[in-house]
Order: sequence, then C-alpha cells, then structure tokens
Amino acid sequence: MPTVILLDVSLSMSRPVKMENSAGSEDYNRRNLAIHGINTFLDALSVKNKLEYVSLVIFSSLYEQLVPFTRDYILIKSTLTKLTDFDKTSLAIGLSGAASTITDEWGYSTPSQIILITDGSTGVGQGSLKQILETHKQMGIGDKDASFQFPCTIHVLCLASPQDPTIQASVSMYKKIIDIYGHGGEVCIPESTLSLDSTQKMFCQFFEEHCSPFHGVLECGHLECNIHIFPKPQVYSKSHDFEDVELEVCHNIKIVGFLDTSDVASPPFISRHLVFPLPPQTANTDAGASDEAIGDTGKIPSFTVLLHGSLKVENMVAICQVGSEWYGMLYSWADPHKKKSNLMLSIFEPGVKSLPWLGKFTHLAPHQIFTASPYGEDDNKTPFPVKITEKRSYSLNHVGWIKPAGLQADIQKVLRHARKLPEKMPHFYKELNRVRKAALSYGFTELLDALSAMLDRECRLLPGSAHPDAALQLSHAANALRTEMARDITQTITPMSTKYSSIINEAR
Amino acid sequence: MAYPVSHKTVFVLDHGPAMMASSKENIDFDVFNKSRGPGIIPLAPVTKSLWTCNAEAAVEYCRIVYDLFPDDKLVQFVASDTSATSLNSWQHKQQNVQKLLDCLVVLGPPGHKTDPSDCSIVHGLTHAVEVLCELTEKQQDVRLALEETETTLQNKGRIICMTSLKSDRHVQSLQEAVQEAIIQHNQLSANADSFMPLNYCELVFVHVRPVGRKSDSISSPKKSVSPLLSVEVHVTDSGRSVATKVVGLAQRHYELFSTTVTGIPMKEEQNSGSSANYDVELLHSRDVHLEALNSGNTEGLLIQSKEGLPSQSLTLKWCTPKSNIMELQNCVGAYRVTPVDVNSRPSACLTNFLLSGRAVMLEQPRKGGTRLISHMLASHGGEILIHILSSTRSVLEDPPSISEGCGGRITDYRIHDFGEFMKENRLAPWTDQNIACDPLPLQRSENHLERMTRVWPIAIGDTMIFNMLSHLDPLPSLIVKDKLDDDEVLECKKAIYHVVGMESRNEPLPVPNAGLRTKGSKREEQYRQMWTELETLIKVHVSNSPQHQKVLDCFTDCHKTDGGNTSTIKQRDEAIMELETDLAVKELDTYQKLTEREKFDFNKGNSLSQPQSPPVKKIKTESFMFKPVPSSSSPQSLHTMWTNRLKAVHAMRHVEFAGRQESNDNTAELYPKLNETKSEVPL
Repeated sequence: MPTVILLDVSLSMSRPVKMENSAGSEDYNRRNLAIHGINTFLDALSVKNKLEYVSLVIFSSLYEQLVPFTRDYILIKSTLTKLTDFDKTSLAIGLSGAASTITDEWGYSTPSQIILITDGSTGVGQGSLKQILETHKQMGIGDKDASFQFPCTIHVLCLASPQDPTIQASVSMYKKIIDIYGHGGEVCIPESTLSLDSTQKMFCQFFEEHCSPFHGVLECGHLECNIHIFPKPQVYSKSHDFEDVELEVCHNIKIVGFLDTSDVASPPFISRHLVFPLPPQTANTDAGASDEAIGDTGKIPSFTVLLHGSLKVENMVAICQVGSEWYGMLYSWADPHKKKSNLMLSIFEPGVKSLPWLGKFTHLAPHQIFTASPYGEDDNKTPFPVKITEKRSYSLNHVGWIKPAGLQADIQKVLRHARKLPEKMPHFYKELNRVRKAALSYGFTELLDALSAMLDRECRLLPGSAHPDAALQLSHAANALRTEMARDITQTITPMSTKYSSIINEAR
Repeated sequence: MAYPVSHKTVFVLDHGPAMMASSKENIDFDVFNKSRGPGIIPLAPVTKSLWTCNAEAAVEYCRIVYDLFPDDKLVQFVASDTSATSLNSWQHKQQNVQKLLDCLVVLGPPGHKTDPSDCSIVHGLTHAVEVLCELTEKQQDVRLALEETETTLQNKGRIICMTSLKSDRHVQSLQEAVQEAIIQHNQLSANADSFMPLNYCELVFVHVRPVGRKSDSISSPKKSVSPLLSVEVHVTDSGRSVATKVVGLAQRHYELFSTTVTGIPMKEEQNSGSSANYDVELLHSRDVHLEALNSGNTEGLLIQSKEGLPSQSLTLKWCTPKSNIMELQNCVGAYRVTPVDVNSRPSACLTNFLLSGRAVMLEQPRKGGTRLISHMLASHGGEILIHILSSTRSVLEDPPSISEGCGGRITDYRIHDFGEFMKENRLAPWTDQNIACDPLPLQRSENHLERMTRVWPIAIGDTMIFNMLSHLDPLPSLIVKDKLDDDEVLECKKAIYHVVGMESRNEPLPVPNAGLRTKGSKREEQYRQMWTELETLIKVHVSNSPQHQKVLDCFTDCHKTDGGNTSTIKQRDEAIMELETDLAVKELDTYQKLTEREKFDFNKGNSLSQPQSPPVKKIKTESFMFKPVPSSSSPQSLHTMWTNRLKAVHAMRHVEFAGRQESNDNTAELYPKLNETKSEVPL
C-alpha cells in the first residue's frame, strides 16, 4: 500500500544523541538516526517489496511533500541528505498534509499508511498533539469528522530512549491520536537506549510486522505454486447490520473452479492484487527473490504462469476461496499502458452471497453432476446469471399514478385500443382491467366513473364507417364500469359476445 | 454491530371516513384530443381522495425499498379505522408491492358509512407497536446466532403514520399512547418466543391536508420523547406533494442518493424518425458517490432533483455504449438502482435497454473537457445495478510482466490442455432448492478438481503419456472419474494393451519436439519412463472404486516392473487373449441384439470403411472393431445402398471358415507358431 514517510524536521530533531558505547566516534543527532532508520526501511523494501509506492513528506509548523509517490527509493535517500532544520513540531499540520497527499493521489478507497517519524516531543501550542486531543474532546468522541474518511493506518516511530521520563506520556497521546483517526496503527520506541543499532532494529522490526510482503500458496487440486501477492491483502473489518465481520485473507488461495469471463460480468471487488509466482524453495525461507535468483528460477515450471496463460487464451477466470466464506477470482490482466500481462486476484466482499448473479458461492457445482449440461451440448448456453426470484418494479409493468402523466399514459393506452375496436378487442379489455385493478388498489373509484364517461363519448364519436361491434363493445364496457361488479376485484370485465364478435373469432 | 431502525417499518394508514375527502388536486386525464379536431370538449378532471394519495405514496415508498433492499429491509402496512388491520406480515414472501396492492384492493377505500367517532388512529399505532415486537425471520436467525456470543439482539423499528392531525395536543396524546403501548407490549413480549421487547422506536407523523388549505404549523423536527421513543412531525399537502414527501423520507431513512443520467438518446414518441436526449433520475445507496462526496469535488455535478425530490442529484453523462462490454471492468462496488419515476417513457427505455443485457458507461462532466468514466449501469439476472469504476491512480501500475518472473522463460507449458481442463471444471449454480446436494456443491467441485489434478504435468517436456494421448485414449480421461462401468474398464484395458503392443512391435514413442527435460533418449528409456508415468496415473486413482483396481490389475499383469521374463510375457499374452475373447463375445452379443435394420447399417459401416476388401473378411473385422458409422459419411446413392444390402445378405449366408470355427476366440490364428518362436528367441 502507498506509504507516506512523515518526517519531523523541527528543531528538536537536531538534538544530539549521547552515544554510550561509541566513545570517540562522531556524534549523531536524532535526525541522523531518523535518516538511518528510513534508509534501513527503504533497503528492506527494495529487496523484498519493491513495488510499493513511497512518498516523503516533512513537517514542522508547515508541511512539504519533498518526494511524490515513487518506487525510486534512491531518490528519497538522496533527498534525505539535503534536509535542513525548521521550527516547532505541529503534528496537526503534518498529519493533515500527509492525508491530503494520499487522497490527492490515490482517492478515498486505496488502503494506505503514514509512518510518522518523530522524537517524542509532542509540540506546544497551536497544532500540538495536546491541542488536537483537546479539540477532539470538545467535539465528542466518535465524531466522524475527526477521523480519516479513507483507510489509512498511522504508525508512529518514536526516536526516544525508553528511559526518557516523558516518553510514556507521549506514547499514550500518540495512541489516542491513532484511535481518533480511526484506522489503527502502532507506536514503536527503540528497545534500548537511542543509538544507530537500536534505531535500525526498530525500523527492521517495524518492516517485518507491517510492510513485509504477503506470501502464500496458490492451489488448484494437487497443482500448487508459491506466490507473492501485491499489494498485501488487508484485514477485512466492517460493521454490518446485525453482524460484525473481521476476516483475514488466508495464505492458501484455493481454486475451486472456473467460469467464463462474460459470466462473472464485471463483479465488484474490495481489492485487487497482482499474483507473482515464487520458486518452490524460497517461499518459507528468505522470500526476497532478488534479480539474480529470478534468473535461475525462470526455467522452473510454475503453475501460476501456466494458469495465467490458459486464462488469457480462453478468456476465463478462476474462482478461488481466500478465507472462510470469502471468495475471489483470478484472471489475466494487462497493464493498460505497458501491455504487460499478469495474473490478477480480485477479492470480493466476504460472504457466500456477495455476487447475487452467481448464486451462492457454496452452491457452485461441477457441471458434470447435472443431468443435462448447463453449458449445453455444444457449449452454446450458460447457466448464468442466476435470475432473481422477485422481479423489480421496473420489470413488472408497475402502475403508478403519482404524476398525472402516468395516469394519462395508461388512459391513452385504453383509448388507443378503443379506437381500433373490434380488432384490438383483447388488448382493449386487458388494458381496461389493468387500469381498473390499479384504481381499486388505490381506492380511486372516481376514475372508474370518469373512464365510463370517456368510453360513452368515444361511442358517440364513432364515425359512420365504424364496425357495428365497436359501438356495442364500447357501451358494454362503459356500462360495466358503472356497475357494482366493476368494484369487485374477483370479477373481470369481459367482452360482450355479439354475433359480430363470433364472426371475427371464426375468421381467426 | 448495527441494529438499524430501518430493518422494520410499519406504515399506519388512516382508514377513517375523513380520508375520503378530496385531495383538491385536479387531474386532467382526457388530454390527447388535440389531433381529433375541434368540437371535442375534454371531460372534467378527476380528483383523488386523501386516501388514494396516501396509499400511492406509501406504495411508492415500498417500491423503492423493495427494489433497492430486497432482503433485509421490511415494510408492513397497517390500516386503522374502528380497529387495526395488518395488510401483510414480516414474512419474506409477503414483502412485495404486488402483495400490498392486492391487499389494498381487499381492504378497499374508507367506508362512508363508518361512524367517524368510532375511528381512531390510536388503534393503528398500538397495533404497529405490537407488530414491531414481532421478530422477523432475519432477527430470529440473528438471535439464534447471538446466543453463543452472549450479546443480545436489539429490536428497533420505525412507524410512519399518515393521517391528519388536529393540533399539537393531538400529537402529544398520540405519542403518549405509543409510549404507553411500547411499555405494555414490552412486558407482554418479554418471555415470548417469536416476540421481543422493542428497544427503540422512531415515530414519524405525516400530516396530510387537502391542497390549498392552510393549517397550523405543527411540524416539528425529530425529538426524543424517552429512551424508547422519538417523534417527528411532517406536514404536507395532499396530491403529488405527499408522494414527494414520503419518497424524501425514504431517502433519509435508507441513506439514498440520486443520480441523474443525462443525455440519453431516444427516439421521440410522436416523431419516430428523430431522436432527442432525455434524462432519467435514479435512486440508490449513498455509497455510490462516496468518492465524489468525500473529495468535495462535486462542482458542476450536483443539480436540484428534476423529478422534484427534496434533494440534490448528481449528474452523470450517458456514454454511447461500447461494443466490448464483456471485458472485466475495474469495478469497486455495485449497488441496486431504481428509477424515481418508474412509469415514464425515458425510464422504461433505459431500464429495458439495460435489462436486455447491454451496459452503459457514465462519465462525470468535468470542466476542461477531460473525460472521466466513473460508473457503469448494467443488469445482472434481472436487476439493474450501478457499478462504481475506479477512477483514481492504481498502485498496480507498471508491474513487471509475468514472463520476467519465476517460470517465465519456459515456453512449453500445456496452455491449451489446461484450457480444456478449465472448461471441464467450469462451475454451474445448483439452484434447485428441492434437491439436496450432499456434500455441498462447492465441496464437490473441490473434490472434482482434486481428482482431476492428481497427475497433471504442467509442461509438455515433463511428460510422455500426455504427449501420446492418441495412443492412450480414453484411459487418461476415464481413469480420473470417481466410478467406472464395465465398458470403461474394458476401454482402459484396451488402451493398455495397445501400448503393450506398441512396445512389443518396438514402435517409437512420439517424443515432443521441445527438448525433454528428462534424461535418456533411448527407446527403452522412453518406454520405461512412459510406463512409470502410466503406473503413477493409474495408481493415484486406484482407490476411487473397485473398478479402478481392475485397471491397475490389468496394468500390473501387463507390465511387471521386475523385468519381462517369459512367464510374465506369457501371462500377458494370456491376458490379452482373454480380453480379446471378452471383447469378441461382447460385441457378438451386441450384434445379435441388433435389429435387421441396425445390422444392415452396421454392416454397411464396415463395408464403407473397407470398401476394397472382399465381403468374406468382413465378419472378422466386425467382431473386433465395432465402431459406429461416422455420421458425416456422404449420402449414399440407391445403387450403393442396394449393393450393400445384397452384400449383407450374402454375408449372412456365408459359411464360416473352418479354421476360425475351431479357434476359441472366433479368430483363426494365422501362422500360430510365429508368435511362439518370436518370443522364445533368446535376445
């Protein structure tokens, strides 16, 4: 996920660090340690997770994005060497600055993280940590406005000795801030006295816990392949109506079957990930297959590559299980700019019914168990989409007269058929009864009388050349609408049987 | 965990005689007479009653709710006059507009003859409290699930009461009645099985007055009466306004947002030659526009609802549909939509277009002319959804190609074979609820995959047997089945004997062109590898069924791994002999069972396949190679049919060759010694 390194460059960061063990060596200040830590972190990334985007933002009482999001970690390293000192720490400014650099670039749905590197001094006055907490207290906890409206964790890496008397107070304030912004995070302090070693250790530990790549196994029956999934799948944690769901993507991605791309029909996903094959042996040991290693592994057959090739050629997707009652799909995806193909994993919303048009995931069966193949003898059918059982109003010919236009259109339909009697007799009576039924549902009996008057008029206006049956049917319908029978829903107004209508019927 | 108030809504409709008063809104229904020349006086307009307007509005509320949330948002109608009547229940099958309309017919409009003093809305309100205490199917499930976790279900609901209110004191007395009812019913339902005390109730009054009548301002915003109850009062004119009001409430109650799709090209009704652009307004969950609303980047996008809803609508422009809609879109969310005016012609055109299976891209009109396609409308299985397309930068940009990674330099993957494998393992929905599928269908899919992949080499160079399928068919496709019938076992055996025959004839194996990654290019090596692979394939499936064991037995009989000494070869030959007898007897039986006509066709097939051979030889071949006549054979002339017929007749009368009659498998063995000498020649 995109990472903002939010570096405190206030004056307090240039405080020198007392080095106990390194007598005689040159002195370091906190900023040197921070840079050392960041370099450690970037080195780890470039070996193990080199597709991550990182941006460098510095803050004091102002903020500045020094390096926009990039995979060129060297650029960040070289920028770090040119830092100067600024004034006081204003955390509010720093965090809002980091937040806007994220939303400007990635919008409001990409998971991201801010790594705040500071010295444990929480600032004074406007924009200080204390002040943020106080304002928030006044607004009331749980106020939505205070939290980030996008999924972003905040980690605080604090360059202070654990022995520092003020550090515990600072740490608890940082934790409160993380709670307020609402998407989790961690506060780290070095395990031992501040030094190059302890700083490096802290950054390494942090990397392992939060930024290490996601490795797993792709399985398809007995076929399997070690894989690296990028970006790392996030824990799904959401409060739904009647249930809270907290799920983690499991490390064994298990293919359960295949579908045609047209059948899955652009399903919504909660996240998308590239799936890279890994050689068999490195999966559990040192996973960072570097470039040289890949040179050798290029010749090892990999199921992932085969799967990708076949999915691409056949234009199909593989449905896979990524957790308990949680599914996703694998397919071939080409970068729109570079035209390079890759295997992509889209993870759906958890639950067995998250894609209604596929039915329940747990009810996807091998097509062989059906007596008649659901795909047809010549592969010319598809059992998808699964149809909804209750039709929606827009496919029900729903009658709604809230607007006069709706009523007018329905009346017009009756009239149009009335003028073409007796040819349109079945249609005429069908529409008439439809309008009548709706009028009865809404208790709109006035309409029945009005309709009756209208049909009477139509009868009078019939031209001399009209079929004699037309007049008979019109007056029959008009009279029927005035009777008590018209108000009884169990009855329908049926055509009057005349000698003409029987002639017409015979002619048919 | 959220227990939404909107899970259960009760509409209390005032069904007293006062509601039969006119809404005072005239509706011209006789409007299409202009083209019929002068002299036609339009009929007098009609007016709806207050009841009709209220019923329409309430049904419209339900239409929207059922369209957008078909599962967990329930509405119940209660009519109140001298007593209270529930029109439908919480049961899922009673939760649809058609059911409500049917019930409204049965209920009928308020009766004129009812004594107004006997009627009261209080009946309806107390009944509403009672039905809110009833648990829905969903709540019962959740309660059951929660019992393990020690948390308790919260029972919440909403009452929307459509009536005419007299004064603030009237409101006051009604809310007291509801409060009282809640307390009473909570006591009653404390220990009942399908009931549960109400934890919270939202009471919404919609005071309806005829158009044009001034009324005292009794409207009041939502306020809390007690921890159990909150009350709000809305005042509206009857007629169209009441529906607008109620739909506005639905928007608030279910957090809906409106989108206006602009610039939909459509043929004009009157003049079908020309086309004009129309707009259609849709309702859906607010989440559809989260990105735009969060970023505040809605300048120029938000307009006042064109359908007159008391809200804003976000405009999205229709993009002419692309032909290739089947490709996977980068879709980050999909939500149900419903048109605000479901009956209008533009709405119907849009929905029919989408229901026919086509999709429409929607773009955000941006200043500066950049196109940003942000949404897509498409239907799935009969319902229309708006899909949110990701429009921000992706972290997946510019990845290394898969060919640069592990396994990327291998060029002989069995891509095509795996394609066939995927088609064989396509899934289909098990929709028949009546027939239980045990184990679960998905488990069966997994089992199927497991069986199919026990031996599945992924590269051409890794395998011998999968490169010579023409020699082994149908064994590899049969052996993976979970059961085999006798015929299939026979087919498998045949395939094994075929390869045995190949080896004994010392035929070369079809080695793939791409360099084999296994050592040994000598023929014996290749055979050895082939046998090993075949053995593995048969052995991994041996436990599928007893029939599979027979195949393995046959394999071990034919191919003893401890080296082919004479005895095993003899055994093998005997086994082959036995098999061939089996086959012959079997096919002779088949032949006997054939009707004249089938026999004729059968013979014809053989004569066709070997047109040069004399008829005498035919019976011999028939008994071994019973194969259906390829239907694709070109139509025959009458002459050939006649000669075939004659030949068949002759063949029937033909006297069997003595040598074959003596042989035990209906085959006259020619040069019987030849085989023996060959196998006994020391190598």
